[in-house]
Amino acid sequence: MIFFQQLRGELRKLFARPRTWMGYGAFLVMEAVILAVYKLERSQQHMRGLVERNGLEFGTYYSSLTITFTIMLLSMFLLGSIYFALVAGDIVAKENEDGNLRMVFARPITRLRLLAVKYTAVCLYTFSFVFFVGVSGYAMAVAAVGWEGGLFVMEPKMKVFAAYPDWWEGAGRLVLAAGGIGISMITLSSIAFMFSCFKIKPAAATIITLTILFVDMILQGFPFFKPYESWFVTWRMSAWVFFMEQHISWPKIIESYAFLLGLNASLFTVGWLAFQTRDFKT
Amino acid sequence: MLEARELTKAFGGKPALRDVSFKLEKGEIYGLLGHNGAGKSTSLGIILGMVAPDGGEVFIDGVSVQKNRGKALRKVGAIFEAPAFYDYMSGWENLKILMGYSSGFDAKAAREVVERVGLTKRITSKVRTYSHGMRQRLALAQALLPEPELLLLDEPTDGLDPEGIKWFRDFILQLREERGMTVLFNSHLLAEVELMCDRVAILREGKRVFEGSVNSFRDGIPCYQVTLEPWEKGAEIVRSLGGEIIAPNRISLPAAIDPAQIIERLVQSGVKVRELARIRRSLEDLYMEILDGKGSPN
Repeated sequence: MIFFQQLRGELRKLFARPRTWMGYGAFLVMEAVILAVYKLERSQQHMRGLVERNGLEFGTYYSSLTITFTIMLLSMFLLGSIYFALVAGDIVAKENEDGNLRMVFARPITRLRLLAVKYTAVCLYTFSFVFFVGVSGYAMAVAAVGWEGGLFVMEPKMKVFAAYPDWWEGAGRLVLAAGGIGISMITLSSIAFMFSCFKIKPAAATIITLTILFVDMILQGFPFFKPYESWFVTWRMSAWVFFMEQHISWPKIIESYAFLLGLNASLFTVGWLAFQTRDFKT
Repeated sequence: MLEARELTKAFGGKPALRDVSFKLEKGEIYGLLGHNGAGKSTSLGIILGMVAPDGGEVFIDGVSVQKNRGKALRKVGAIFEAPAFYDYMSGWENLKILMGYSSGFDAKAAREVVERVGLTKRITSKVRTYSHGMRQRLALAQALLPEPELLLLDEPTDGLDPEGIKWFRDFILQLREERGMTVLFNSHLLAEVELMCDRVAILREGKRVFEGSVNSFRDGIPCYQVTLEPWEKGAEIVRSLGGEIIAPNRISLPAAIDPAQIIERLVQSGVKVRELARIRRSLEDLYMEILDGKGSPN
């Protein structure tokens, strides 16, 4: 019971920060920009070509669901990675830098419990934020093109191509994908969280996390590493795209998320060990 | 109530504490003094389990902080110099969060404490709008929730105005009176320590070089304010008779020596005695003696 009270306190802190709300604002602006690009004649022609080349009807797939999918894909890649690394990188390191931790350490809470509370807050925040992006993106798309239509998905990197003319099926796949993105993004947050537990500046935790992920992504693209692509974190993080396949390949999805779960647990453990052995001078 | 046993700690090979021990009895106010870097904050860090000692152990009510921190700190409150709160939240929300890390939030108890520290009107304001004095009051409020039996104060009056310092001192003394609270007071405001504490320990370069009751050094060796001409010659005569020069124009004499004897010798030697008056030896005198290396370690 006390854990939930502490968790509520941690979430309250997170949402009381002006920066948190600025983050929500930034995502809304980004969604609006993506939507505006979608409305451009040239973009529509490009999409028409893509859809019709596959023997599908453009009118069915130029829809709020397809736009929401693109919004989630682009905003998570372009802004989500930075934002989640920033939030998770701050969660311990910033409190140490600001001196808040010494106030907390005057309380009878163990370091493991403190980290468990903070990590749970980060995970919940990350996961729910992805749904915020999905819901707000969909609301904007509905306002721009109406609610009807199917879902068109083309993700060449993961070799996923699918079309769902039925709204319900498309929406269901989108919800599953949002859940998958949420879990994938928790891995990014876990890396930043681990570095945040080290004796390090909050900005450094964010930068190191982003560097690791970008290097991972670049190396994954090298032909030499093609046979080993499943060992790359960013490849595993992209497993959510498999929810979009016509026939969902559950073993592939479970394997990737088991990999990420194990990685997250390891990152938390390393962070905790580093945190446990640190001295915090008053 | 609190026992620190042979605490030893080094940072990067540089010793910060060397075999420091002290013990606080229930209801006692104990002062920890020392220059910057003497080891006061390190001691406090070890007591709170924020710093792992290289050697030694701290017990609070018989429970080892190093072995069972959660249980040991259950009845401990602490205040630090320049306390850091979540500035973007109200004082009340800060109390909620910090209490949540102990046994959970108790609104009734929090309201009572807030009223007691005089923050009722501003408790719902954002902490970033608080003055330093108000922050210290909020720090005191959070330290008193839930009811602690041991209060650790790390330079709590630094930066406060004289009114604030007096209010703080009276508040702590009242708490001791009412609840029999034990207090460890870490400061370099010597006058404050002297006014508040029953006993003091002085740390120098990580070693405890003095421990004693405030009354013992106040009423111990007699001290005098003197004006001698010439000073150097007079000082030499005082030393030759077993006296000590504490500071310019201040001497201490062993209790066995009659000051009249000293005056007689000085006058006989051609030294003019313009003034010789008994003064009470202050903590500052003792502190300076010890830092100058004159005090005897114990």
